[in-house]
Amino acid sequence: MSEIVPQVPRARDGRAPDVFHVGGWVPMREYADDDEVDFAIIGTGAGGGTLACRLSEAGFSVVALDVGPYWRPLEDFASDEHEQFKLYWRDERIVDGTDALQLGRNNSGQSVGGSMVHFAMVSLRFRPEWFKARSQLGYGHDWPVDWREMWRYYGEVEEALKIAGPVRYPWGPHRPRYPYRAHELNAAARVLARGSEALGIKWAPTPLATLSAPRGDAHPCVYRGFCIAGCSTNAKQSALTTWIPRALAAGAEIRDLAMVGRIELGNSGRVTGLHYHREGRWRFQRARHVVVAGYSIETPRLLLNSACPRFPDGLANSSGLVGHNLMAHSNQGVYGVMEDEIRWYKGPPSLAITEHWNYTDEGKDFHGGYSYMSQGPLPVEWVGTMTGNRGLWGEALQREMQKYIHQAGLKIVGETQARDENRVRLADEKDRFGLPVAHVTFSYGDNDHRLIAHAKRFMRDSLAAAGARDIWAEESETAHLMGTCRMGDDPSTSVTNADGRSWDIPNLWICDGSLFPTSGGVNPSLTIQALACRAADRIKLLAKRGEL
Amino acid sequence: MRAAKLRHDRRLSRLPALLSAAPPSPRPKPDVQALSTRAARRLNRGCAWLSAAVLADSAVEHYRGMFFNRAMYAPLAVSSLTLAASVHGGSDRSGKSHPVRDGIYALAALTGLAGTGFHLYNVGKREGGFSFENLFYCAPVGAPFALLLAGLFGRAAERVRDTAPGDVPQLFGLPAGRALAGASALGMMGTVGEVGLLHFRGAYHDPFMFLPVSVPPAAAATMAAVAVQPKRPRWRLARLLLRLVQGLGFAGVGFHAYGVHRNMGGWRNWSQTMLNGPPLPAPPSFTGLALVGLAALDLLEERHD
Amino acid sequence: MTERFPGYDVLAKRDTPSWNDASRRVIDHRLALEDEPRFLTQDEWRLLVALCDRIVPQPPHRPRIPVAVLIDRKLQQDQGDGYRQASMPPLRQAWRQGLHALNEEARLRFGGNFVELAPGQQDALLELLARDQVRSEAWQGLGAKSFFKGRALHDIGSSYYAFPESWNQIGFGGPASPRGYVRMDFNRRDPWEAVESKHV
Repeated sequence: MSEIVPQVPRARDGRAPDVFHVGGWVPMREYADDDEVDFAIIGTGAGGGTLACRLSEAGFSVVALDVGPYWRPLEDFASDEHEQFKLYWRDERIVDGTDALQLGRNNSGQSVGGSMVHFAMVSLRFRPEWFKARSQLGYGHDWPVDWREMWRYYGEVEEALKIAGPVRYPWGPHRPRYPYRAHELNAAARVLARGSEALGIKWAPTPLATLSAPRGDAHPCVYRGFCIAGCSTNAKQSALTTWIPRALAAGAEIRDLAMVGRIELGNSGRVTGLHYHREGRWRFQRARHVVVAGYSIETPRLLLNSACPRFPDGLANSSGLVGHNLMAHSNQGVYGVMEDEIRWYKGPPSLAITEHWNYTDEGKDFHGGYSYMSQGPLPVEWVGTMTGNRGLWGEALQREMQKYIHQAGLKIVGETQARDENRVRLADEKDRFGLPVAHVTFSYGDNDHRLIAHAKRFMRDSLAAAGARDIWAEESETAHLMGTCRMGDDPSTSVTNADGRSWDIPNLWICDGSLFPTSGGVNPSLTIQALACRAADRIKLLAKRGEL
Repeated sequence: MRAAKLRHDRRLSRLPALLSAAPPSPRPKPDVQALSTRAARRLNRGCAWLSAAVLADSAVEHYRGMFFNRAMYAPLAVSSLTLAASVHGGSDRSGKSHPVRDGIYALAALTGLAGTGFHLYNVGKREGGFSFENLFYCAPVGAPFALLLAGLFGRAAERVRDTAPGDVPQLFGLPAGRALAGASALGMMGTVGEVGLLHFRGAYHDPFMFLPVSVPPAAAATMAAVAVQPKRPRWRLARLLLRLVQGLGFAGVGFHAYGVHRNMGGWRNWSQTMLNGPPLPAPPSFTGLALVGLAALDLLEERHD
Repeated sequence: MTERFPGYDVLAKRDTPSWNDASRRVIDHRLALEDEPRFLTQDEWRLLVALCDRIVPQPPHRPRIPVAVLIDRKLQQDQGDGYRQASMPPLRQAWRQGLHALNEEARLRFGGNFVELAPGQQDALLELLARDQVRSEAWQGLGAKSFFKGRALHDIGSSYYAFPESWNQIGFGGPASPRGYVRMDFNRRDPWEAVESKHV
């Protein structure tokens, strides 16, 4: 259905696409399969792309592989939702559970740059206490990292992405000024602001990874509103337009359209490289270290698919936790009709936010927190909400669609609790590479339901206070994924240590959202990138100490 | 050297006169014309630049605002009149003030004041009130201020013109040179405040964006010093800085044109980038304010000569 | 129903800065699709077209949107969504079986093929599907409600709103690159956006 899709790899013959110029190229260092590179990284999104940049800048030899194509947004991205489905992971996955996940748009991409290529650019820090959720807030698990350290790395990532955020952020401890100023609000965002002020809570322009002023070859945002269909102007600061160009300049190799099927374990108990499929055949890349950065479904899938006689339950899985404790942010929206014209298709979809219920613990009958943001779905996404959530069809559907430019909405990013039964395992079915596909089970727990009910009540009140009528709420919606290979301090209750180094195999690492012990009530991309920056610094230090 | 500069300055300051429909008048003999009239004409030319900037800027910005409120036409009408009056004054060698010009300048000052009020109201009533974000994106508080300045300096020009030959022109009970030196310093600092705010909105992403928040403050500080203690040695530095500010007003248009090009689609996408990019008509306000400052120095020279 | 956005045509912006080459290429291709099946049989195709007419009834006096063609091409390319309910068969099988079962249910309930029923009967039948109140054995292993909501509504809604004519009907701006939008506040509109009629 998509018309503009590269069928053969672009990053080869010593060059990679220059994302900033139509038809452009930048030089790229290449490694032979037989070269034992320092790091082979699987996945080039928020985790892998960031790590590839930071490790190559530290002087390591790096090859990063991605099953997705290497886009040049300026020439490959149409302003069209259907065409841009090509950015989503569309290979088959099996889902079940009472709240079976809808994968793709909200949570998984297949591109060099990963799902950041279609992310909504919302770039938020975790609340400090969340890193010690168990000991300070009484639920979930403690992270093996200190919040102050994470906040330093947040600062680095915000600078690297030139996050456009408010001059004063109203929640949490002091943070440095965002590198770029916040964007102008659209009407949909002002509906959130009005509602918040009427209910007496704080709100703010959302810190976003899209430029509010020129930067190098990238243009500022033109408010076209197709953000989650891919940014055709490069205003969006994703791994594709930030970390990966830096990685290339520092000597990393990116291999697009390269599917990794198996990580090979050597006799020594260390991994020796990976088997990958590119240009019609299986190949083997030797590596001193392998980093899995495929996100919460593909990372456990690959570890499980790499089972071998020594690790029959999959690599790095002596704890039995690989694939378990999958978390998906609850993502229920509340919508209403305004007398005013809103035209929410203009501008980034979530220009205003409130983190009130992330930072307030009083008045809750649940653990965890949630933020909520203004909304701006385009027609295909919107009709999916109407049919999927309300079951509308026929004249009733068309009547509701007619109100499109008067709609406003609020949507949560809600913390969910890690639960063992929410998990990723292997299905019998095989994909186009002959590899068993992922079977993903997800159901909300009681605490999750209480959080969602609280959020829906509050957002209904907020919309009503802002002047909306015909208000209704979505039922089972989910967004970002987290967990399935959690990090920790104890090898029996976690898969990796704080650096993402697996407890079982010292040269096998994980660097993505699957490391999250808890989910927090904010979009995870900034935290994934901060973890990757931290991991890179730790690896540098370990290398210096001879502990790699 | 100095003479060459003066000639250059005269050419620049004659631009609005050249643009006006009136046939060019024969060049006056400076020694015949009262120096106060020459200063008044220079003030008029400063007002011409200020009102031209207001006219173009409010036309673009209020078009962007869809003229949602009828009052949004007011600055266009009034700044047009002010521009016409200023161009007229700039080429008027009469030693007497002109009642119509004087009235227009009063109207401009009132409109500027009212506009500032409207814009403050627009910002204040918005969710978030007087937050940085609202100051960035709501009606700019500093914009009508330029019209207020045009009106005030225009009124000053008429008062200066009425000075009898041999008398020292007075404003607010002060020698006009000193009063205008101080006023131009204040005007420049107000404009610097607006530029500083909007360039902060642009995150000073280009180092050249620091120019209009560094050169005009230096000029303003020097003019303030001149106002407090009008010692001759300071005039030279003041003149130099004012020339720089005057030039910055023109250069700024060029920088802003480049800024428009740096937006997606560049000039081909003008219907968006002219509005979302840096405002082309804004920088010439500095040219106008520099001319006011130069006129103040002229008056001081007259007093001391 | 009065037209909400009289005179508005997204395609009129095709040669303005609102459309880049990629958008032109993609939309041109979509509009040039032949309104004929490439994957489905003629019988299945007629059934699908009739179903689309009930799920997204098209306003009279407006150009007709070829909704079914995008579904047929999706099936032809076997392009799934990237996830599938464990209880549902794969894409092609689900659609084939669903269309067959729909027709079986029509014959069982109304004694005729779905395409031959009056619109009211068709709607009544679909209402039964939505409530999972079906009798035919043909739904075995698929589920009427799962097919109706998870496949039919999902794919048909998505196809309808992939066509520029549907954007005209709801006042959506359509392609917007390199030119996006300038005026984003309440009741503000760029000159290249749809004007809403005051009479709705």
